[in-house]
Amino acid sequence: MLRLVAAIVLAAAACTGAAAELKRWEGGATPPLALEDMQGRPHSLADYRGKVVLVNFWATWCEPCREEMPSLDRLRSSLKGQPFEVLAVNLAEPLSRIEKFVSQMPIGFPLLRDRDGAAGKAWKAKLLPASFLIGRDGRIRYVAYGELDWSSDAVRARVAELLK
Amino acid sequence: MNRRTFLQSSTAAVLAQSLPLAAARAEENWRTFEIVTRVEVIDSFGVARAWVPLPFEADTSWHKTVGNAWSGNATRARIEHDGKYGVSLLYAEWNAREMNPVVEVTSRFMTRDRAVDLSRPASDVELSGAERAFYTAPTELIPTDGIVRKTALEVTRGAKTDMDKARAIYEWIVDNTFRDPKTRGCGVGDVRTMLESGNLGGKCADLNALYVGLARSVGVAARDVYGIRVAPSKQGYKSLGTGSPNVSKAQHCRAEFFARGYGWVPVDPADVRKVVLEEPPGNLALGDQKVRAVRERLFGSWEMNWLAYNTGHDLSLPYATKAPTLPYLMYVNAESDGELRDQLEPESVRYTITSRELGA
Repeated sequence: MLRLVAAIVLAAAACTGAAAELKRWEGGATPPLALEDMQGRPHSLADYRGKVVLVNFWATWCEPCREEMPSLDRLRSSLKGQPFEVLAVNLAEPLSRIEKFVSQMPIGFPLLRDRDGAAGKAWKAKLLPASFLIGRDGRIRYVAYGELDWSSDAVRARVAELLK
Repeated sequence: MNRRTFLQSSTAAVLAQSLPLAAARAEENWRTFEIVTRVEVIDSFGVARAWVPLPFEADTSWHKTVGNAWSGNATRARIEHDGKYGVSLLYAEWNAREMNPVVEVTSRFMTRDRAVDLSRPASDVELSGAERAFYTAPTELIPTDGIVRKTALEVTRGAKTDMDKARAIYEWIVDNTFRDPKTRGCGVGDVRTMLESGNLGGKCADLNALYVGLARSVGVAARDVYGIRVAPSKQGYKSLGTGSPNVSKAQHCRAEFFARGYGWVPVDPADVRKVVLEEPPGNLALGDQKVRAVRERLFGSWEMNWLAYNTGHDLSLPYATKAPTLPYLMYVNAESDGELRDQLEPESVRYTITSRELGA
């Protein structure tokens, strides 16, 4: 049985360990993000200006994505009442498959659908999971390529820094 | 049932009842595939490393990469690009304490059959000067001077356009080479040696490299495209598709040339010779109807039951202790304790590549 799981984003030149690291973003401008959720409601990253946002690109076929999903939810729950949100962007999968996944792993944050993979390409999220921590000014501040314990103290410290 | 088994089986169950991007684009004839490359560096001693080719990065009219993910017990991993040929690979490293290094790379991609209308130019598409120079340049094993150019000049005598030259070379390759089943892997692609020895036998990396070398030597931009077959052929050629989901030995390279007004044109003379040798009942004559049909088809079209990795030549494996320059990257490579394993022997690394079409 494989004990450790990790993943990295294709465009990343940065080295990763078996578990990903949250690294300061040096990739330039923040791409736009405007997608619908599973109910067809539109979400735009611009609408979340003023909040710290964790944009997480994932797919159900990506084992590390599935592994880290509960920690995303734990992070969000721990920051309840604070200006923080998680936007999980599913990469090019049909609704039925996402629904099946959610039925097995309920989560409390919006699941957006990148139906044609265009957002994933714009954000260079070809190798999953790819997570981007957005500051309250709407700009990417940190990035993680691969599975991360989002409820760890190290991550929470970064988020707290952005929430100030 | 352990956790991993559960995850895998639950994924399979979900996959079986749903269609990914291909469903949304069915009207455009896109097919979606998943390929899983599992690498075990067996008998590992000391630091172990592995290099796994990833799907072609660029979106084209015939290929799109959806995404990749990996799992395993690597202590380091890094995506590497060659920065020249569009090569991308997953580099994984294990420290000396890991006795059973394992990495599994899952990739999803879409393909659709590719064909260029050769009856008339469709546009004024042209390469830049820099691009033309790049795609007519020699590589270590594909020189463009000496016997290569001499042969190409003879083959293309009287041909005026790049299209004419490309066609003449294609016909010459089909008429004069043969598929040698004893060639290891897909061959090496040592074009000069092939011509100097007069032994024009080999497999795709030999025959299509010869095509590319001859074309480049007379100024026709051309390139090898290295990849792997991922599904049976739907065009009636058993020899041009996979026979099972295990595609660990299904690596296959193709070729393209560029013609003004047509763009990049797919060709595959090596597969014509594969049909000659392998299509039942075997050892078909060039005049056989099946051979004639595929010969016509493979100048200008590819059936996309195949995944493109890259167009790379003369590649160095990053972080390798003492690896030679590779003529191409189409296989999984691995090393242990400073020794590179034989990339043409899956058992020396123990890798398996499985493929399935989603929603098929």
